[in-house]
Amino acid sequence: MGAMAEVTFDDATWERLFQITGGVFAPCFSCGVCTASCPWGLVGEGKVRIRDLVRRIQLGLDPDSEESLWLCTTCAACVASCPRGVDIPEGFLALRSQAWREGKVPRNLHAVLWAVHWDANPYRRPPTHRPLWAKGLEVKEFTPDDEVLYYVGCTPSYDRRIQKVARSLVEILKRSGVSFGTLGERERCCGDSIRSFGHDAYLRRYVEGHAKLFAEVGAKTVVTTSPHCYDMFRRYYPDLSGGFQPLHYTEYLARLLEEGRLRFTREVPVRVTYHDPCYLGRRNGVYEEPRKLLQAIPGVELVEMRENREQALCCGGGGGRMWMETKPEERFSNLRVQQAAETGAELLVTACPHCITCLEDSLKVVGISGLRVVDVAEIVAQAM
Amino acid sequence: MVESLYKPEEAKGLWVYLEQTDGKLEGVGLELLGKGRALADALGDKLTGVLLGDGVEPLAREAISHGADEVLVVENPRLDVYRTDTYTNALFHVVRSHKPSIFLLGATPNGRDLAARLAARLRTGLTADCVDLGIEEGTGLLLGITAGFGGGILATIKCPNHRPQMATVRPGVFPRPVPEAKRRGKIRRLDVPVQESAIQVLERRVGAEADLTTAKVLVIGGGGTRGDFRLLKELADLLGGQLGATRVAVDAGWAPREWQIGQTGYVTRPKLAIVCGASGAMQFTVGIEGAETVVAINIDGEAPIFEYADYGIVDDVFAFLPALIEQIRRLKH
Repeated sequence: MGAMAEVTFDDATWERLFQITGGVFAPCFSCGVCTASCPWGLVGEGKVRIRDLVRRIQLGLDPDSEESLWLCTTCAACVASCPRGVDIPEGFLALRSQAWREGKVPRNLHAVLWAVHWDANPYRRPPTHRPLWAKGLEVKEFTPDDEVLYYVGCTPSYDRRIQKVARSLVEILKRSGVSFGTLGERERCCGDSIRSFGHDAYLRRYVEGHAKLFAEVGAKTVVTTSPHCYDMFRRYYPDLSGGFQPLHYTEYLARLLEEGRLRFTREVPVRVTYHDPCYLGRRNGVYEEPRKLLQAIPGVELVEMRENREQALCCGGGGGRMWMETKPEERFSNLRVQQAAETGAELLVTACPHCITCLEDSLKVVGISGLRVVDVAEIVAQAM
Repeated sequence: MVESLYKPEEAKGLWVYLEQTDGKLEGVGLELLGKGRALADALGDKLTGVLLGDGVEPLAREAISHGADEVLVVENPRLDVYRTDTYTNALFHVVRSHKPSIFLLGATPNGRDLAARLAARLRTGLTADCVDLGIEEGTGLLLGITAGFGGGILATIKCPNHRPQMATVRPGVFPRPVPEAKRRGKIRRLDVPVQESAIQVLERRVGAEADLTTAKVLVIGGGGTRGDFRLLKELADLLGGQLGATRVAVDAGWAPREWQIGQTGYVTRPKLAIVCGASGAMQFTVGIEGAETVVAINIDGEAPIFEYADYGIVDDVFAFLPALIEQIRRLKH
């Protein structure tokens, strides 16, 4: 506990904070499991004191730490343990929206939003370069006759490393005989950066415009590379096309596997462990599909890390943290790659671009050899 | 709306604030004189420089050779270094008694501080951080063009009813005019009361590094430097540039976090970026997307950095840099 401090309560502040957070913190009875389960506790004592913050909002006091507001990776480890089911990350993001109104926002974030506004991606890359990831693959534009719209996403479109994941997915879909297309140059950012920075005003406007695009092209089943785009479409987009069904690719591939359309022909003798991306697992309950895919590959031996499924440790890249620097000694992914190494696996498999980026970085920082990070799609493609 | 302290009808002339530090004019003041000259000519008005400090009168000549018709000089030992209160008070006094129509200041740290204070005290507006200035046809109003967050949106702002029309401009936006030693102008010493400051300067410390986001030349080191930034520093010094680093180099402890360029570091827009031994991960190239010219040196010809580079050199950094440095030295002599 900190030192005793004198505080002044006023109804106006209480009301304002209640409105901003939509009363999300009201059910909390201050047990403190959230603070205890927050991964920030693993890298620095007292960096993010969730219980204190929630209590302050309940009492009508503004957050006492601007920093902790922006540290949250929205991994939802706290939500998984909360006996009252409080959606703590949503409350954090709501408080970030207040920080935008007050201009108390970490540097760089403005520029990211402008990049989304002008270039339809958070990386300032030209929209015309978006389809270049598929060079030589013959990926066609989506038409309503196609079974699925493959929504590639910004990181898989522009990041050289993650482009390999998108290319693997294209191979899998083709070999499984799926008719699909992409939006090509017309594809836009899903808006996850806007949401995770807590800019709710821009988010509302953005989602409205983007949802229309899906309806216009007649997209129903939309398969995403990233769990973040999936989460956006599933939780924040209205169904304007009548039957809009966003799926993460692991869900879709598991379906193909069950239907016998996706078949493995090659053995991949390797020991793997699987890292649950927060936005796939805890936020959307997709735990088993990626595991089913891995276990169906001949030769693959899946071993679990001690923290898996609901208990999985976050990579540190959610909640907009990909655009904010984290000190090397405070990166969750450093701990996660060590957990993976302990299993004796040769491959650390995951299914999220941000996770891949963070985990690969940590392999270098921690200096672990004999372990590689791959995406589920990459190993599936290899076995077909 | 509150009225300004004097009316548009009373206002006359275009002023430029001549910021000086340790008896040297800041470059942005001279740059503003260049632009101010063109604006004043368009208006058929006089261009006046305003100079505050202690023992700074000799600088007035420099301002005249750079385009000023007249320089107002306020000298006082209490104005020896910039302090918010003394400078605001003195300048407020000068503006109120001479009533300029337009007042331009450099968007330096002190210039921003002073301009904002002054504008509030004069009950007028301030268009901060302009990327261009113009004059509206017909009305003769000052147009300040400013960029929104990250440069995405341009807004044109005017101040029709309040005077002076104030704007700040960042250093480097306008070119510095070529001085004409023979230009003639008036130097007027003003007697302005300067109260004692409430601020006591205990110590002045000049930072070792300039701001990476405003650097014209950046020499950036990545993993390929293996932590040896000595040649990079030599090159940066030769070109009057700053050092930067990739996240890999910073994480390895080879460079301070303040040098980091990229998605979670600084987003820069130099005229020239020389990237040494960086593979070119997207998280890094985001930080040099705004560079005018990118030169990449990397031993791996397949490195993605070459997709961003205007000039690519496939070679070992430590083999290439000595030759480059030698050539630049020779050209400089």
